[in-house]
Amino acid sequence: MTVVIGFEGSANKIGIGIIRDGEVLSNPRRTYITPPGHGFMPSDTARHHRAVILTVLKEALEQAGLKPADIDCVAYTKGPGMGAPLVTVALVARTVAQLWGKPLLGVNHCIGHVEMGRLITQANNPTVLYVSGGNTQVIAYSERRYRIFGETIDIAVGNCLDRFARVIKISNDPSPGYNIEQMAKKGSQYVELPYTVKGMDVSFSGILSYIEEVAHKMLSSGQCAAEDLCFSLQETLFSMLVEITERAMAHCGSQEVLIVGGVGCNLRLQEMMGVMCKERGAKLFATDERFCIDNGAMIAQAGWEMFRSGQVTELEDSWITQRYRTDEVEVTWRD
Amino acid sequence: MAALEAERNCETGKLESLDVPFPSSGEAAIALRSLSPDREPRKGGISKELAVSGSTLSRWSADEARILRVSVNSFLDHLSLVLETM
Repeated sequence: MTVVIGFEGSANKIGIGIIRDGEVLSNPRRTYITPPGHGFMPSDTARHHRAVILTVLKEALEQAGLKPADIDCVAYTKGPGMGAPLVTVALVARTVAQLWGKPLLGVNHCIGHVEMGRLITQANNPTVLYVSGGNTQVIAYSERRYRIFGETIDIAVGNCLDRFARVIKISNDPSPGYNIEQMAKKGSQYVELPYTVKGMDVSFSGILSYIEEVAHKMLSSGQCAAEDLCFSLQETLFSMLVEITERAMAHCGSQEVLIVGGVGCNLRLQEMMGVMCKERGAKLFATDERFCIDNGAMIAQAGWEMFRSGQVTELEDSWITQRYRTDEVEVTWRD
Repeated sequence: MAALEAERNCETGKLESLDVPFPSSGEAAIALRSLSPDREPRKGGISKELAVSGSTLSRWSADEARILRVSVNSFLDHLSLVLETM
């Protein structure tokens, strides 16, 4: 029996989760929500995490009904992500690991998402679409590495959505992407936007600049409603994601797709991916907002796999890093 | 925890050392090992040394006072989080 506690705080969510042999015992989380029209800055986010982290830690242990002595390993997000919040969380993880006398494990955030998706959905060997505010990658496992088959060459798809939400000043509660999704359902007019797939990769910064300009023009002249722009943006962005996922599937001969990351909560994206999968006779796997959105349990799960295959992070090597490629990690727990 | 002691070089404006007393050397060691792994975010113009001898001792050297201020500020924030966790 192996119990791992995972600490996650690379963006505006701070979550601590406990996993025991594939069972999620607790997974409390807090989100730093900024006012409409504003994004979250590193130092403010770190301040938010710092204010709540010890409370969330207490909740995680209480909800799991465990004491520190019951934990076998302390996992935390080594990167990628925003520097200041990552440090704040790592400091607490390192301190409790020493206080409790437990080994420490630095986890790659992207791999956390993948391993949680695999655990919850039990997908065998899927092509993974990892889409969030900070990352957009198409990942497939091959020979001890999670290889990146396609990715954004500039900003993440979630970043494009979040920044558009700021332009039209919609609420960031519970998340800007969720509110865009609700508004898109009421859209009736399709506004053509640039479509920028680059081979196996995608680009979103041009679409963002374009729609920012179009929004100002068309909304003030009343040519379309904000709902129409939300609808058009989603249709365009998600079509691009479906295309590069399909390209990777064809490359790998894969019959399974797993969507992870905050943008993976979006039901329209799941619907569009489902249509493509059906056409190819493939199966689609997705998780709900408890596990799609950044959470501590996903770090615990990846940590569980890593720990059981013999990996450990020495304190001197436990520095955090804002850039951490998914394929940098040797996947010792799969063959 | 008793008050921090800082020694500043008045001529160069550099912070020579910051002494942080701890109730025990064990706790000082934990704090040191939690605070030392991360590198300074700024590439140039600042260097920081952490060492323990019964209490935590840090030594800074910076080209400009404002860089020093940011670094010391961050360090004290981080230190206080570590202490709260303990």
